[in-house]
Amino acid sequence: MTDALCPSYAVSLGYLGVVAAATLSNFGAAWGTWKSGVSVLNTGIRHPTSVMKNIIPIVMAGVIGIYGLIVAVILAESIPTPSKNGDNAYSIYTAMSHLCAGLCCGASGLAAGGCIGIVGDYGVRA
Amino acid sequence: MSSDSCSSPYCNAGWGELLSHMSPYGYANFGIAFGLGFSVIGAAWGIWLTGSSLVGAAVKSPRIRSKNLISVIFCEATAIYGVIMAIILANKIKKPDDDSYQLPENWDFPGFYYAGYGMFSAGLSVGLTNIASGVSVGIAGSSCALADAQDSSLFVKILIVEIFASALGIFGIIVGIIESNSCTFPISALEE
Repeated sequence: MTDALCPSYAVSLGYLGVVAAATLSNFGAAWGTWKSGVSVLNTGIRHPTSVMKNIIPIVMAGVIGIYGLIVAVILAESIPTPSKNGDNAYSIYTAMSHLCAGLCCGASGLAAGGCIGIVGDYGVRA
Repeated sequence: MSSDSCSSPYCNAGWGELLSHMSPYGYANFGIAFGLGFSVIGAAWGIWLTGSSLVGAAVKSPRIRSKNLISVIFCEATAIYGVIMAIILANKIKKPDDDSYQLPENWDFPGFYYAGYGMFSAGLSVGLTNIASGVSVGIAGSSCALADAQDSSLFVKILIVEIFASALGIFGIIVGIIESNSCTFPISALEE
């Protein structure tokens, strides 16, 4: 259990990377969806035919959520269970790289989703 | 680093000791609590956002009352995802077979810790994505009610926005189920 290179707590850091990828990119997707959604609805009152065209920012924001899902599933599948005789197969090196991969994906998804929301908001109203 | 580290029994030995000194049973149960609690927070937030707009707009145009309850149902679905994940995780927590005071020496500690951390992160994934999804559906549903009050032909198109927003909650529960699939608590010591 106290093996220096593959400690048991490495799994917690790896799984926190999975959480970061899934939740932060979904926060970004949600931000983009609601910000551009509100402006689509407000302009749709005066110009009903523009609604279907202006759904595009919302679709793009949903795709950001899918990116986070893909990265989270890939990371979760690559965290191995300990072997039968009790040896850990997951090193702290891999755990740190998974944590940072999840944070990369999540933080950039958050930024991308927010950007889509703000740009979509102003673009639809223009 | 080991030369200037504190050797008193009151200092801990770093992050490793901090992360591994909370019991995996505690991690798993906190995962269930966060999963269910945050999902319900997201659903409640969405329902009050959309409900207040719906009730206010229905004062002037009562015809929108029954159609726009769909937005409230979409918000409720995020709470249901949290309940599903909590039930799945709660059924995976198992007591050891022999009720001795301490765990035996050859207990499967790596698998034990793996299960605890995995369930904690599954619960966090579901809970936090459901906050995002619930708030998003709530704001979109609130605008939907106001737009429907002005022009009723907009309603069906606006549902597309809400469907995209509630898909985010489904992403969370997919990740949670994949994470918690391989997490099984050991119930007896390893045979070595």
